[in-house]
Amino acid sequence: MLSVKGLKANVGDKEILKGLDLEIAPGEVHAIMGPNGAGKSTLSHVLSGREGYEVTAGSATFLGQDLLALAPEERAQIGLFLAFQYPVELPGVNNTYFLKAALNSLRKARGEPELDAVSFLRLIKEKLKILDLDDALLKRAVNAGFSGGEKKRNEIFQMALLEPRLAILDETDSGLDIDALRVVADGVNALRSPERSMIVVTHYQRLLDYIQPDYVHVLAKGRIIRSGGKELALELEEKGYGWIDSEGQAA
Amino acid sequence: MTSARAVDDIVKSEYEHGFSTEIESDTLPPGLNEDVVRAISLRKGEPEFMTEWRLKAYRHWLTMREPEWAMVNYPKIDFQSISYFSAPKRPEDGPQSLDEVDPLLLETYEKLGIPIEEQKALAGIAVDAVFDSVSIATTFRKTLSEAGVIFCSISEAVHEYPDLVKPYLGSVVPHTDNYYACLNAAVFSDGTFVYIPKGVRCPMELSTYFRINARNTGQFERTLIVAEAGSYVSYLEGCTAPQRDENQLHAAVVELIAMDDAEIKYSTVQNWYPGDAQGKGGIYNFVTKRGDCRGARSKISWTQVETGSAITWKYPSCLLRGDDSVGEFYSVAVTKGRQQADTGTKMIHIGKNTSSTIVSKGISAGEGQQTYRGLVRISQRAENARNHTQCDSLLIGDRCSANTVPYIEVKHPSAKMEHEATTSKISEDQLFYCRSRGLTEEDAVSMIVNGFCKEVFNELPMEFAVEAQKLLSISLEGAVG
Amino acid sequence: MSDEAFTGFAGWLAEPSDPPVEGRPDWLEAQCSLARERLAGLDVPNSKTESWRYTSLKGLMEQDFARAGENMTALQSDDLEEVLIPGLDAYRILLVNGRYLPELSAHEDLPSGVRVAGLRDLIANEPDLLRTHLNAVAPPDSQPLFAALNTAGMDDGLVLFVARGVVLERPIELIHLSVGLDEPRVAQPRHLVVLEDGAQATLVERYVSLGDSIYCTNSVLELALGRDALLKHDRIQMESPNAFHITGLYLTQSANSHYQGVNIGLGASWSRTDLNCRFQGEHAECDLQGLYLAGDRQLMDYHLDVLHSLPNCSSRETFKGILYGRGRAVFDGRVFVAPQAQKTDAAMSNRNLLLSEQSEVDTKPQLEISADDVKCSHGTTVGQIEPEMLFYLRSRGIGASLARRMLCLGFADEVVQRLSSDALRDHVSEQVGQRLESAPMD
Repeated sequence: MLSVKGLKANVGDKEILKGLDLEIAPGEVHAIMGPNGAGKSTLSHVLSGREGYEVTAGSATFLGQDLLALAPEERAQIGLFLAFQYPVELPGVNNTYFLKAALNSLRKARGEPELDAVSFLRLIKEKLKILDLDDALLKRAVNAGFSGGEKKRNEIFQMALLEPRLAILDETDSGLDIDALRVVADGVNALRSPERSMIVVTHYQRLLDYIQPDYVHVLAKGRIIRSGGKELALELEEKGYGWIDSEGQAA
Repeated sequence: MTSARAVDDIVKSEYEHGFSTEIESDTLPPGLNEDVVRAISLRKGEPEFMTEWRLKAYRHWLTMREPEWAMVNYPKIDFQSISYFSAPKRPEDGPQSLDEVDPLLLETYEKLGIPIEEQKALAGIAVDAVFDSVSIATTFRKTLSEAGVIFCSISEAVHEYPDLVKPYLGSVVPHTDNYYACLNAAVFSDGTFVYIPKGVRCPMELSTYFRINARNTGQFERTLIVAEAGSYVSYLEGCTAPQRDENQLHAAVVELIAMDDAEIKYSTVQNWYPGDAQGKGGIYNFVTKRGDCRGARSKISWTQVETGSAITWKYPSCLLRGDDSVGEFYSVAVTKGRQQADTGTKMIHIGKNTSSTIVSKGISAGEGQQTYRGLVRISQRAENARNHTQCDSLLIGDRCSANTVPYIEVKHPSAKMEHEATTSKISEDQLFYCRSRGLTEEDAVSMIVNGFCKEVFNELPMEFAVEAQKLLSISLEGAVG
Repeated sequence: MSDEAFTGFAGWLAEPSDPPVEGRPDWLEAQCSLARERLAGLDVPNSKTESWRYTSLKGLMEQDFARAGENMTALQSDDLEEVLIPGLDAYRILLVNGRYLPELSAHEDLPSGVRVAGLRDLIANEPDLLRTHLNAVAPPDSQPLFAALNTAGMDDGLVLFVARGVVLERPIELIHLSVGLDEPRVAQPRHLVVLEDGAQATLVERYVSLGDSIYCTNSVLELALGRDALLKHDRIQMESPNAFHITGLYLTQSANSHYQGVNIGLGASWSRTDLNCRFQGEHAECDLQGLYLAGDRQLMDYHLDVLHSLPNCSSRETFKGILYGRGRAVFDGRVFVAPQAQKTDAAMSNRNLLLSEQSEVDTKPQLEISADDVKCSHGTTVGQIEPEMLFYLRSRGIGASLARRMLCLGFADEVVQRLSSDALRDHVSEQVGQRLESAPMD
């Protein structure tokens, strides 16, 4: 589904990703863990097409398409979704209007007709339940005045609505208390399916207690230095990143 | 409580530095015409190009109209009653060392609490003391000359470095700029010239203490600072003035030029005589200060603490011509009694990626009137220009006023410009809090006001920051009752 | 007035082809001639005139406007359809080229205590009704040029009286419709709105046109609010793209009164709006909101003058602008707080989005404060659409141009929400969206 080969990316003059390889098949959940500054967010941003990063080498192929050549909206339209670490507030932009515009642009790209107002409302109310969100949220502006937990739940709610093929969860656990974390994780788990893959980017192992990954990768200094099963996360938790770092260098 | 009585006390607080020094002056009789302009040039033994330069300015001045300002009131100035030249009567070549300086003059500095000797020893500052119009003592020249820095009176520079002066003089503030700058160009008496060669970091803070002394003498200082590529200089200017009962005009011009990667930091503490309780006798301070960030990545920073003068009219400005150049303006202005201040800055963004910061803190007490007037212009070529402006006014008493008049002109869509202004008074809660911790009300006010001005004081060189805080406290003495 | 000025504005003062109002009472005649005298002493403003620093009168002066005024009886109700707002339930007053058109107006069944009439009719038949208020809010001896021109050529307009304690639930919609004629015309409508103590009303004031001809509207509004009165006032300027539009709004507020004005500027190639507010009693509140869009060589110029001369009043001035194409905007806001006006609470803000290379904004938010126990602030920003916001929308599959438009509408929303009804909010959002859709944004 996603194939990243030898990806190198700069911010300004500084190289952040230094040759990253990653293969993800349909239905798989991959956790990417790593210390601060390892390049986790950069990877999320480069894959979703955020400005400010310069790809200097390598490739990223998603569903047979050259992902890096596409505009952010085109990536979303073919089924890529980024759950932001810090969802931006959009004052004055109505949530319902926003969701409808997003959903219809995806449908249009797939050659499906736009949803009428009634079916649309039915759909979003159904999805709201999954995330235990109040429908008062629909009348508000996107993320404006939302609490940290509401913002993260809103991200997963959008994911539920837009039904991507590949979702990147960028530190979705940061800033969440244990109850909110459980709600978010339940939402994510409900969306797992044989067609849908996920990349769970996180600093801590705790999210992986709730979202069980098939694979765990350790990202350090711009490269994946170690891959393994979910037991790798536990090992990391126990020994800290220092361990992997020194071992990685030793190896 | 900041009561009416408190305000009266501020108004009554006497000018601390008030006295007059008796020195014989070689003064031209009052009046202005071409002969006077020629006489000034002649007395200073200037080369021909300077005489012509002055005359050109004078002729242009005749065609100009005296400006009328919306928010400043003062009796009309009779330009024919002003004497345009006054020099301490001394041998032609002037004193060579402090020993040769008139002892009365040195005593003047003692009274002001800034003895030159101590200043030198204390702060390691090169002091170019201007008494009236002619520089009479310059110190630390050796250290500076070793670094290749030229720091001398502008009269001297005209003689010794005409090739350095000629291309720059009037290049930032042309004589056509405004009425007072034009008058200055015609009759300027003396001032300072600083030249920092390429790549040189000036080894010390440069300081000039201006004093206005001779009665009825207009002061027309002219300062020119040129910082060549990659150089740095910090220049400090401080003023106090003797008490007198007639209004005095001070129309100075300051020109700064910063080449590629050069930085000029220009700091002012101004405490001229503000006039008596009726507002009589204070200085009119109509100054044109402008910095030209001519080179890429150059930076000019103006910091001012203005507590004196009856009327202050000055807008230290930056022309941000070089790409990535930076302009800054940090200002504290205090008006009390009948003082009026109309001050602010102009930031003209021309180059790409230029940025400017404006922080203006105005404090009005008694019947003081204060106006912040600022212009931020982002021209059509100024891609990615940035400006942040913060204007805060603090009002003490109910007979003062504070006006904020910003002009913001944006002609490029990539500009990011933010302007904020607030007006407040010292709150009862703040005062009570401080007093409940054992501070006197007066200390509390002083502390709160100093806190209000902190952002600006932080920009001053250390020794000036201390002086500025002291000045502010003295200015607001008796502000509580 | 200089010779140049008189030539430029002579047509504005000429008699309309209909005879002027008959039986104008002496007191009114005196006021009109006072305005004429004042005009004689006024110079045409130029760039050195502070209040016209950024706005040139050149384009306006180049036009040779003739006086509009004759009745447009040929207009049919079908013509009106295209300017009506769907879903807006209101009493309707229609003015065409400055003249009140009772045939196409609809204000039957007004509750008792509410009087709606054409100014011309009242001058002819019940002039005494006007005497207390007309020219009282904006005295002719201090009117600036365009208000003085309006007064000197006073002809017709809306007069609305709401008696003490009367609450008018249904809004009054004032439509000023301009219909293109063979030659450029100037219409000078004059409106008077008086709310007595405790009265409440909503006024929707709209400037619209049929076709895109060149004309000028120079309107003056006098609004007087009694104690505890409440006026909601939505103003939507959607003149023809070739029109000139001038408004001078003069408002006085008695104690405890509330004024909520929302100014939407979308039309005209050149427009100038002066909003003047004076407090005549304590604890009054004045809320001035504005949203302006300027593109396609349009100029939008707003001048606000809010005078706090009494204690305990509050005012809000919130203006937002979106500039695109070769659009230009000028905002000059002044809040004046007199020495006796303690406890004044005033907050002014002006925020602008610049979307194109050739758009431009000049803004001058001023505070003049002579009282110490006040809360006054202003904030101004000029900037662009935040890239993070744009990326967020695009990452959800929304194309860049729709995303930009959504963010602009979001920016405008704060002001749009202040409009008095959903019908108006929808109408304005749709109009803003349409303009942005055709706007070059890159």
